Amino acid sequence: MTDPFQWKLAGRCYKLGHDVPHPGGVVPARIIVGRHFDAKDIVPHLFEETDPGFHERCRPGDIIVAGRNFGMGPKMNGYIAMQALGLGLVCESMPFLAYRAAVGCGLRVMSDCVNVLEMCETGDELEVDFRDGFFVNRTRNIQREYPPVPDNLLELIELGGNTGWLKQWWAAQQGDAARA
Amino acid sequence: MGSTAVEKTLAVKSGMASVKPGDVVYPQPDFVMIHDGVVMGAKRELDALGIDRLAAPDKVVMVTDHDVIYGSSRAAERGAYNREAARRWGVKNFFDVGRGGHGHVFPMETGMLLPGMFYFDNDRHSTNAGAIGAFGFRMGTEISRVLATGTNWVMVPKTVRLTIKGRLAPGVHARDVGFRIAALLESGELAADLDYRVLEYAGELDQFDLAARTALCSSPTEMRAYGVFVPPSAAVLAHAKAKAQRPYTPIFPDADAQYDADLDLDVSALQPQVAKPGGVQHSVDLSTVAGTRIDHVFLGSCGSSFFEDMQSAAAILDGRKLAPHVRMFVAPGSEQSTQRMAREGVLQIFLEAGAVMLPAGCGPCNDAVIGPVHSGEVSISTAANNNFGRFGAKDAQLYLGSPATVAASAVAGVIADPREIK
Repeated sequence: MTDPFQWKLAGRCYKLGHDVPHPGGVVPARIIVGRHFDAKDIVPHLFEETDPGFHERCRPGDIIVAGRNFGMGPKMNGYIAMQALGLGLVCESMPFLAYRAAVGCGLRVMSDCVNVLEMCETGDELEVDFRDGFFVNRTRNIQREYPPVPDNLLELIELGGNTGWLKQWWAAQQGDAARA
Repeated sequence: MGSTAVEKTLAVKSGMASVKPGDVVYPQPDFVMIHDGVVMGAKRELDALGIDRLAAPDKVVMVTDHDVIYGSSRAAERGAYNREAARRWGVKNFFDVGRGGHGHVFPMETGMLLPGMFYFDNDRHSTNAGAIGAFGFRMGTEISRVLATGTNWVMVPKTVRLTIKGRLAPGVHARDVGFRIAALLESGELAADLDYRVLEYAGELDQFDLAARTALCSSPTEMRAYGVFVPPSAAVLAHAKAKAQRPYTPIFPDADAQYDADLDLDVSALQPQVAKPGGVQHSVDLSTVAGTRIDHVFLGSCGSSFFEDMQSAAAILDGRKLAPHVRMFVAPGSEQSTQRMAREGVLQIFLEAGAVMLPAGCGPCNDAVIGPVHSGEVSISTAANNNFGRFGAKDAQLYLGSPATVAASAVAGVIADPREIK
């Protein structure tokens, strides 16, 4: 039996500002243009242009906290890397198609977290439960409640995003066909 | 509390009494559209998972509109792949080369897409469905899940209402309205964020025919609207009734619907607009850029390729020649339009003026597969957008205008006001 999916992450805050674009701000544009979708090809380049070596310093459970308009564009590349590294993403807002891309990659993500940038600094110890929206900053003793992952999207994220979900769905279809 | 058009549509298609913005639903589409550029990616993705059949092949509509005449061996290979994919998937509604035209245009002409319908599409210009009072939602690469399972999750978007006041002056086109809206959204004079919103038009809409309504859908889409909705007029409903291929029920917003923003725009004093290079939001009165020398003209795209758009440009070109240094490409939205242009003498006007006719479809506006611009050149077109590099060299200067404006400019050799071509 596999471990139950961890909806609650506990780790360090990695704080970014407002209007971080996907190309350049999250991963270099060449990763997007080159259509790299394999996590191992993208991970070394996550935040490369603003913070080289990030992927070696981050740990599973760490939480990226961003401001408004994070990850402009319906690009998946950066979210694939974040998911593979076991990170979570909390932001004040992101364009909807960026949010959709993040969910489609199976990333634990909460958008519309008003003023969350004021609640933490890089390095703070955070706990975020993406299933009920509880945000706790252990370092500063702050608690907030934000809009959680919608119930209808929990399974999609638990299964690792679109590909994982489709894989499971197809296996279930095959099982049904075999039983019929 | 009442519902906006998109809330009502998603409720009906999801089998629910009502929905509100932020709800996640799984609507059952009337059909699913996928274009020639992405069939290969979707097929390979599903094949890799072993998924060898579609949920409802009869609902799937494949269109060849992005790369119609194969300017490369790679394009020819993709065309062959797509035909084999259609055969293996059992897709009968395959509008291949020369069989339909632009997927966001011909279904409204032929009565495939009708008021009140909802469909999934891989492409974001499916917002055009709003012209006939329907919705088409972009899924991007997630169209593969729709193909396999029949649906996908949709978060109900918020709605922004824009009430049009006044009537357009002669020589001013619905595309000009769209360009103006984009500029006003950018400046904040229209105070709304269209990201993942539906822009629902209201007000004096009877002045806009189906072609003009389609033009009204174009620029808001570039401003990141996820859907556009124009409540069908009596004329649009009559068209739908005459052409309908299947039953349908028109949907209208409730009078007490709640809007994310409620705006209005008086169009009575609007002048022809031109979008300066870099995006539709850089639109200005044409007079401020009149006289700019041009090299390249394109008439067509999802925003301006109905027969009426062609006719509007032809009225300017009639009996005239393109300026000697200008080349002009014309891509009607459908094979049906091309045939009607031939029947009614419109085609002859373009040919005699010196324009080059392209097959129905996207024309240069898809990644410059045909008729692109070269470095340093200046173009004016009715393309969906004029982002740098949209159809050719990144340092080319791409302007946008209405069909009449691009025709007037083609004749003058410089950006020109269609009202001044005598």
